[in-house]
Amino acid sequence: MALNPMHQFEVYRIGPEINFGNINLSFTNSSLFMLLSAIAIIIFLFLGTKKKSLIPSKIQIITELSYSFVAKMISDTAGSKAKPFFPFIFTLFMFVLFCNMIGMLPYSFTVTSHIIVTLVLAVVVFIGVTIIGFAKHGIKYLELFVPKGVPIVLLPLIVIIEIISYLSRPVSLSVRLFANMMAGHTMLKVFGGFVISLGLLGGWLPLGFSVALTGLEILVAFLQAYVFAILTCIYLNDAINLHH
Amino acid sequence: MKNFKEISTRLEIAKKKIGISPEKDKGSNAASLGNALKISTELVAAVIVGSTIGFLLDNWFGTKPLLIIIFFFMGAAAGILNVFRSAKRMHKK
Repeated sequence: MALNPMHQFEVYRIGPEINFGNINLSFTNSSLFMLLSAIAIIIFLFLGTKKKSLIPSKIQIITELSYSFVAKMISDTAGSKAKPFFPFIFTLFMFVLFCNMIGMLPYSFTVTSHIIVTLVLAVVVFIGVTIIGFAKHGIKYLELFVPKGVPIVLLPLIVIIEIISYLSRPVSLSVRLFANMMAGHTMLKVFGGFVISLGLLGGWLPLGFSVALTGLEILVAFLQAYVFAILTCIYLNDAINLHH
Repeated sequence: MKNFKEISTRLEIAKKKIGISPEKDKGSNAASLGNALKISTELVAAVIVGSTIGFLLDNWFGTKPLLIIIFFFMGAAAGILNVFRSAKRMHKK
């Protein structure tokens, strides 16, 4: 059982079973690690902003760096009109980043390696962006599906393709994060299993691979959070400024 | 305030040193890796969405293999459009 690489993704119940009608709302290890990453973010930001000194401490530098990183990302991709959405994108970025990073610790659980978690995040972004688009532009937002300068004969085809392209946004957003995290963690576990099964003689090569892969996974964990946030900014840009 | 002044001069010296060193855009490497990861899924996701829509419509109208085939190709076209747009956006930067 310990050698099964998919065992790490198992969700199990902690504490009593809670049911609301047909919906099972029990506290699971997945919810535990979501809670842990939320608490970690709060502690991190609290410590970073507690003593606002002119000459910053290490933790204050990291906090300010993460703030300016997200602020620059929003102003670069979505322009100054997207400034009001900074809190949402910052929260999204920090949550995905901390979930991915906490998942890198041994014996922990990676929340973002489950498609349902990433799909919910992506659908929230998708619905939110659509509502913002309609609120800003009204019915004119539908012009997003009708590109300019298309012959009238081709128009029905193009509109369907544009709608599929629009609907594929939450799928690509969620599948990307989920697939990267799950594939990475499975690979780490498989190489870890090789170390044990090859023993003292042949186990050194996979051990080296696992060390290298751990480094790669930390890079991927950061990059996926970054890509998730920047794509949210790009979709927001489409909704606010109404062009691709 | 003496301490503050000292730091600002030190910062200036450090900034000059950074300007001389050839290692400048280390961040763009990670950004391009992010772009590569981004584009690869965009193509697949549109095909999945297109095929799913075709499958659902097929079940609804009872035209079993026809619509899923049409919408598969539409999804592929939408995927190529997505990739094309991302590439254009990258080029603009």
